[in-house]
Amino acid sequence: MQYPPAMLDPVAGQLEKYMDLLSARQRLVASNIANADTPGYHALDIDFQGEFQNAVSGPPGIVEVSGLAVKNDGNNVSLDRESRLLAENALRFQVASALLHSEIQNVQSAIKEGSS
Amino acid sequence: MSLFSVLSIGASGMAAQRQRAEVLVENMANAETTRTPEGGPYRRKDVVFESSRVASPFSSVFDAQVDAVGGVAVSDVVVDPSDPERRYMPGHPDADANGYVAFPHSNPAEDMVDLMGASRGYEANVAAIGAVKDMIQRSIDLLR
Repeated sequence: MQYPPAMLDPVAGQLEKYMDLLSARQRLVASNIANADTPGYHALDIDFQGEFQNAVSGPPGIVEVSGLAVKNDGNNVSLDRESRLLAENALRFQVASALLHSEIQNVQSAIKEGSS
Repeated sequence: MSLFSVLSIGASGMAAQRQRAEVLVENMANAETTRTPEGGPYRRKDVVFESSRVASPFSSVFDAQVDAVGGVAVSDVVVDPSDPERRYMPGHPDADANGYVAFPHSNPAEDMVDLMGASRGYEANVAAIGAVKDMIQRSIDLLR
């Protein structure tokens, strides 16, 4: 991470990146669900672990999901898989935002305690 | 990365599935209709889904970031070209000279199954919007 936030722990920068990736992934999941009945549509995803370990800035790489059963109309969206990812991403986001919140709370309490 | 544009994607899915349900219900309601403004019996219709870009107020900025994804839209409503079903009903006002009446070529079982699919698809999109709404709320709560 090239910009450790001035006031926050470097972990906060990582958390921000993590939440960004989760948002990007949630977008793809929503798009897959919306296109669950579109003929010829192929499910999209990001290589999540790879992207996070790279810690590159910029847009994440989008890949087609492999290994899904293709239906007669050429569509391979699995609503079960997308529902699981939807819930998983929301929970991961919840954890990350709770951690980031506690980081911010720390700084806030430092500011408040110093003022009196 | 915008979570708000994800709401538009979910909404596009809901709109498309709702339109599909409308067409299916129209098919079932008109299963026995022998008169239409175009003449002849009702012909069953079907929607065609196509993946599309969703219109978001800030789309131009975010399109540059994530280019390949979008919502869904009904690109076309196609009319079933198959021949009408002919039933022998000599007393019917729409009967031809031989006593046959042209009825829509409908399959209520198929329409019902499709309708269930549309309903499930709609629910899945609602769930997606709910999950994303929660994520947005949590981001806002960081400021509290």
